Amino acid sequence: MTNNDVVIKSNKYAIAFEGKELSNDEQIELMEIITNNSQMQIVCLLEKDEKVETPFKNSLEKRLEELSYNTGQFYKGTLRSGQQLEIENSVIVIGDVNPGAKIISKGNIIILGALKGSAYAGAGGNSQSFVIALNMQPGQIKISDIIARAPDVKKPRKLLSDPKKVKIEPKIAFIEGNNIYIEPLDKSVLNDIKL
Amino acid sequence: MGEVIVITSGKGGVGKTTTTANVGTGLAMLGKKVVLIDTDIGLRNLDVVLGLENRIVYNLVDVIEGNCRIKQALIKDKKLPSLFLLPSAQTRDKNAVTPEQMQKLTEELRNDFDFVILDCPAGIEQGFRNAVAGADRAIIVTTPEISAIRDADRIIGLLEAAEMKRTDLIVNRLRVDMVKRGEMMSISDVVDILAINLIGAVPDDENIVISTNNGEPLVGNDTLPGKAFMNICKRITGEEIEIMDFTSDKGFAAKLKKLFKRNN
Repeated sequence: MTNNDVVIKSNKYAIAFEGKELSNDEQIELMEIITNNSQMQIVCLLEKDEKVETPFKNSLEKRLEELSYNTGQFYKGTLRSGQQLEIENSVIVIGDVNPGAKIISKGNIIILGALKGSAYAGAGGNSQSFVIALNMQPGQIKISDIIARAPDVKKPRKLLSDPKKVKIEPKIAFIEGNNIYIEPLDKSVLNDIKL
Repeated sequence: MGEVIVITSGKGGVGKTTTTANVGTGLAMLGKKVVLIDTDIGLRNLDVVLGLENRIVYNLVDVIEGNCRIKQALIKDKKLPSLFLLPSAQTRDKNAVTPEQMQKLTEELRNDFDFVILDCPAGIEQGFRNAVAGADRAIIVTTPEISAIRDADRIIGLLEAAEMKRTDLIVNRLRVDMVKRGEMMSISDVVDILAINLIGAVPDDENIVISTNNGEPLVGNDTLPGKAFMNICKRITGEEIEIMDFTSDKGFAAKLKKLFKRNN
């Protein structure tokens, strides 16, 4: 078989034999039996070869993992106290994450609203992950295996939403060295984002 | 077919029972036929706030266990002929009733009344589940304090999960002077956090304590909370009324104050 393009249309299949070692003649005989007795058309025969397969499998898995960091899922609604959202890839929340709520993602977390609860990005261990929120007031942020929490407020908590006193702007939390930094989302920070 | 409304908060002591008594009385004043159900089994006090304590013969658990008919347990209000109370039992606990039984009861009552209003106990356990089971809509009562808002947030989440069709918010015990000084969250701060429809705000007022102790709801009278509760009732019936702005100096008292200030 020289045809390496595996085209799977209605009744065309690629096939692999497992278990008993078969000679070439035996394999051809088996394929003939299959094509003669069923609607299946065998387009190519896949060979099992551990040495070729393992690195191929690894690179595929790695690529899939990278893809899952980059592909995201939407969640619309406010996450309320006691609610927890766990997502395998990145997530974009359209709504607020209220105090007492928790959001966990293996990829990145983007919140189009206020983050007041806790967020855990890069739950699989990816330290490139980041958290972005339009209004960043997190109780706790965890990225990969580093945790940061909000500083204790000494002075009496004045009105949280007084726009004159507290400037609300989109911010990003990311890891640098062994610390989590929270910075306004400006061009230079955006350029450093690696997907 | 009447509407079944549950009044809940999560946290205790924010004014669920006071709100239930006033909203129920107000709706009855507007000519609606209303029944209030106290679902706080074991800690009943809606009857006290309404001043009907010594008229109780049968209670909610008696009705559910079939010891009496619903009509026998309903207590008619002292003044309003279209307002009824189904009191809670004092000698039992929340486990004496199941959500299914409550659902059946509210289904029966909604045939005879315009509004069935359930006073929910604090907490998120059996008592809460019982009260919420048969309700079409919920009214969340909170005060402008972080602890009460946190609990309200949790309750709203639970109600969303239970697919409650509609949830509205009452901000209770608002202290305008403190809001002005920036020491208390304002109505809009609370609404920002909870992100549900605001159906009314009630200022903190000593008249509430007096009316509770007298067993006479103050809804509809000339005090600020009396007006606020009446507005809430009208909004429940579908009227559109603007939320009172307590912070503006438009009231008569404020004008008077200004006058005196000028003279000084």
